[in-house]
Amino acid sequence: MIGDSRRRRFIPYLYLTPAGLIFLIFTILPAAFVLYISFFNWDFLNSAMSTYVGLGNYRNLLTSSEFWHSLLVSLYFVIGTVPVGLFLALIIALALMKNFPGRAFVRLSVFSPYVTPVVATSIVWIWIFNPQFGLLNGILHGLHLPQLGWLESPHWAMIGVIIYTLWHSLGFDVIIFMAGLSAISHELTEAARIDGATRWQEFWAVTWPLLSPTTLFVLVVTTIGSMQAFTQFFTMTEGGPLSSTTTVSYLLYEMAFIFYRTGPAAALAVILFVIIAGLTALQMVITRRRTFYQ
Amino acid sequence: MSSEPTVTTQPRRMAALHRRRHHWPWWHWFVGAILVLLFLFPFYWVIVTSLNSPNQVLQFPPLFLPHWQWINYVQAWTAAPWLRYFANTLFIAGLTTLLVLVTSLLAGFAFGMMEFPGKQILFAGFLAIMMIPTTVLLIPDYILLRDIHWLNTYWAQIVPFGASVFGIFLLRQFFLSFPRELMEAAALDGASQGRFLWQIAMPMAKPALITIALYVFIGSWNAFLWPYIMTSSPSVQPIEVGLATFLGTNGTDWTGLSAAVVFTTLPVMILFLVAQRQFLAGAYAATGSVKG
Repeated sequence: MIGDSRRRRFIPYLYLTPAGLIFLIFTILPAAFVLYISFFNWDFLNSAMSTYVGLGNYRNLLTSSEFWHSLLVSLYFVIGTVPVGLFLALIIALALMKNFPGRAFVRLSVFSPYVTPVVATSIVWIWIFNPQFGLLNGILHGLHLPQLGWLESPHWAMIGVIIYTLWHSLGFDVIIFMAGLSAISHELTEAARIDGATRWQEFWAVTWPLLSPTTLFVLVVTTIGSMQAFTQFFTMTEGGPLSSTTTVSYLLYEMAFIFYRTGPAAALAVILFVIIAGLTALQMVITRRRTFYQ
Repeated sequence: MSSEPTVTTQPRRMAALHRRRHHWPWWHWFVGAILVLLFLFPFYWVIVTSLNSPNQVLQFPPLFLPHWQWINYVQAWTAAPWLRYFANTLFIAGLTTLLVLVTSLLAGFAFGMMEFPGKQILFAGFLAIMMIPTTVLLIPDYILLRDIHWLNTYWAQIVPFGASVFGIFLLRQFFLSFPRELMEAAALDGASQGRFLWQIAMPMAKPALITIALYVFIGSWNAFLWPYIMTSSPSVQPIEVGLATFLGTNGTDWTGLSAAVVFTTLPVMILFLVAQRQFLAGAYAATGSVKG
């Protein structure tokens, strides 16, 4: 009986063990390991040959132009996808809150790119962006506008990737905004209207403030997603032309798996982690009150 | 998650409220049509390209209608070991999904229904896992998988993804609102915890389990960077890595590439269309945090 109750006390931990072990082995310990590696001039093939360099990798990274350039490129991508995406998603969500026949189909259409594989659908857009035979330049030509180099031009490549990313991911934000909008009490907006508020006033005085938790959620989630984005850069531009689309994530991949500069790449990974963890912590602080202790 | 159905029905309820006024201004239709065109046109365009001849797709002005060149599909299909890629993907995605369901069910049950010392701290720790992005783990996990001889295997693509914070979170929410009386009644009837979980709780958790399964399956199907780094031979590689390889070798064969895009993406789109309700419910559930 005593043995039985002791065993009972262990049971909850037993239920947590499978998930816990997977997280421990493939996430938590490797995260600690990458921090460790970042202090070494790591020998990729023979780790025993690695030499300790302290903060050397960080110093080299923070004084290199390629790091700061990649940070600027990431910032460009984040600005192009996050505020722009937020604005577009909110407008679309507001339009779709009105009931009209075919609304469900429109919502489904907007959401559908989100479930498609990035490799597959980015190929479609590479073709659309093709400078010689692509549809987009065909349209520009038809409108008697100058044709662009798109993904082959250092000025337009990032804009091309941003357009693709917005097309791919906007639907998710739209759905989240729609959930947020439908949670706003109808009586409040109605009351504002009875008080003589215009549509515009009603939005800014009632809807927008009440929507702020949703807006913050979308803001943080999409920023994290954009900081981590990789596949579309791999297929569409390979970081080029002239590293105009080499983001922090892409630079990390290049350093680690093309040039095998493991130590510096690990230091870059730690920096990327700090940026993303900071954003996630921010999101958790914001949403905590409303979620985890309900 | 218990709040899921209520969240999904809300728009419908609102729609019913709105329906009192029967005016749909023309610009709603117009905006709707523009949105459908913008978001669906790339799908139409890749189908058209895949069904025209290589010379036709290079014409100007472009052809907006297909000319049924099914030969493109035959050529693309025979140019790479697609069947192998499909089988690998199904195996990897299927097993990963199964593993996530089991680990999430167990952990969600413990966090939602049991009392034990350190529960809050452990749960916070599990949530904190979300802060660690996959990109950051590529280097250490590559070294780990190399040292345990898992590089270029199925396991490297399954086991590391066998637990999901999203899944655990969703099932914890489900169990938190689970009627305690049911569990007590089952205990009185002499049912063990394991039997209760398997025979009573699991069938009731079905909506949450389906949502988790769909997202894990699609995520696994769409995975690219991890398998691209961790595998090197088509015998274990999934479909998207196969497609990227095909892009690398046939980069200017637009008709063949388009055909390959169509037949590799079709299963995902069919799954999405069949289970659209659950997908949208999952997106809503992700915002469980902002619902309040």
